[in-house]
Amino acid sequence: MTKYFSLNLKSILVNPHLIFWSIVFVEFWVFMWAYIFSVNIPEVEEAIREYLSLAYGSLIVISLSSVSITISQSLIYSSKSIKLVTKYTRLSPSKFLIENFTSSFTVLIIISMIMFASTIGVFWNKFGMLILPKNVLGLAAITVLSAIFIYAISAFLSLLLVLLRAPKSASFITFIPMMLSFIAYSSLWVDFQIGAYISPFNCISSLCYHYFSGKQPLTGAFFMPSNGKPMDVTLTIVSLIIWTLSLLILAVVMLRKIKGVGIEEIELV
Amino acid sequence: MIVAENLEVSYKRKQKPVLKKVNAVFDDKSLILGPNGSGKTTFFRAICGLTNITYGRILIDNVNVEEIYAKTGILSVNFPEVLSLLSVKVYDLIELYANLTNGNSAFAHNILDELGVSEELLKSKKLHELSAGQVKAVCTAIALSMNAKHVLLDEPFEQLDPARKDKLIKYLIEYNGIIILNTHETWLLRKLLEWKAFFMFEGMLYGAILVEDLLKTKLSFADDPHALIKIKVSGRPISLVKGRKGKSILSLESLDKIYELALEKEKS
Repeated sequence: MTKYFSLNLKSILVNPHLIFWSIVFVEFWVFMWAYIFSVNIPEVEEAIREYLSLAYGSLIVISLSSVSITISQSLIYSSKSIKLVTKYTRLSPSKFLIENFTSSFTVLIIISMIMFASTIGVFWNKFGMLILPKNVLGLAAITVLSAIFIYAISAFLSLLLVLLRAPKSASFITFIPMMLSFIAYSSLWVDFQIGAYISPFNCISSLCYHYFSGKQPLTGAFFMPSNGKPMDVTLTIVSLIIWTLSLLILAVVMLRKIKGVGIEEIELV
Repeated sequence: MIVAENLEVSYKRKQKPVLKKVNAVFDDKSLILGPNGSGKTTFFRAICGLTNITYGRILIDNVNVEEIYAKTGILSVNFPEVLSLLSVKVYDLIELYANLTNGNSAFAHNILDELGVSEELLKSKKLHELSAGQVKAVCTAIALSMNAKHVLLDEPFEQLDPARKDKLIKYLIEYNGIIILNTHETWLLRKLLEWKAFFMFEGMLYGAILVEDLLKTKLSFADDPHALIKIKVSGRPISLVKGRKGKSILSLESLDKIYELALEKEKS
């Protein structure tokens, strides 16, 4: 690893936008789920576990997609530098992607752990019960897969923007994961049917719910009188893996082609 | 050695090329003299592989620039936008580039110290938080510290005061490698007599001529058959001729003035 790994890790972790949107903002909703929305939840372990699993599955997607904004923006910001360093320094395009990935991935895992610990802690405080996931290893594996996916979509979107030379769309494009995560959040009320398999954000949410609660996830409408259909967990994992691999391969191809967009041309939020 | 062969660069399709059939060989320390907007920076971007080449090619040590990946010690440049890999403190940025290129960060710190950019400032500010002159100094110091065989310096003296310019030029003279320096200023010609000089006007490259010889020439606003170099500015010929009376290139503080002179001559 070069110094790029440690410095990128540090610069993402101390980014004030990341701290606010991925941690502070989402923690607010953790408190809302625990203290405000939970009035009708019976104080029975199984009921609380299912409710907590829904909260965790829905909020982790929002938190991780907020990290995606920071990763994308940092990639766009440095797009001209990326071209230079991959040509005239030790960082080849693939090595750059590996180091950028590992540092971003570390941030995503740290954020996931904060979310995990805080959700359990806040619910423990509210209900007086320490509710742990039914399948810790499964949840850990899905957290790793989700982090890889979030990185892949961040890299793909930012490199696509650079390749298309559309810097004015930077704000919109970097917020796409966030928008899609809110659509996934709406599956609490809406039955997405087959769309629940197609949307990778729904897949993350459903799989986190599944491994936390030990129950089969639904295609949506968790809070509605007529719930969605049960989802096939294997198919959901396969869908997420296909999305992740496809986006990563496209990112590597695009990295070799980018010429860079000037910092001055980019309108970031 | 950097070779440009029939190089043409356009930013948009159907747009007139910014660089027009540029042919050049850079095998020694060289200056590219030209007014602002003449295409010097675009030429550097093309050499780095940062812009689409419409026609022709750039070879660095006989390798097409498009095919170069992960090769340290070949090329460095002082463009701030390409040295902004991370939004970190300048001190960390210097260390980062030294680490990535097996460069010498202490050398960059020495240069910056002499140019009056303190380590304290480097540790407390990010690149975009520095003044324009400080940004230029930092980027030039990073480019020189990357131990590259070819160093492209785009207007390295811009925004620097005369004392600092003198200090920086000492490092350029002593540098063990090929420096190609873009500038529109002429004061530095006296200090770089052994360098080669090229001229760039309206996307066309002219030269090379030894600076020592260039200083013996005078500007003639006509197509002179004895000219060492002939340049075209807005369709008008300008010749640099030895042993004639007239204005020396040094009398123009900036090459931007050549347009005014060409116009004056046409009126008279």
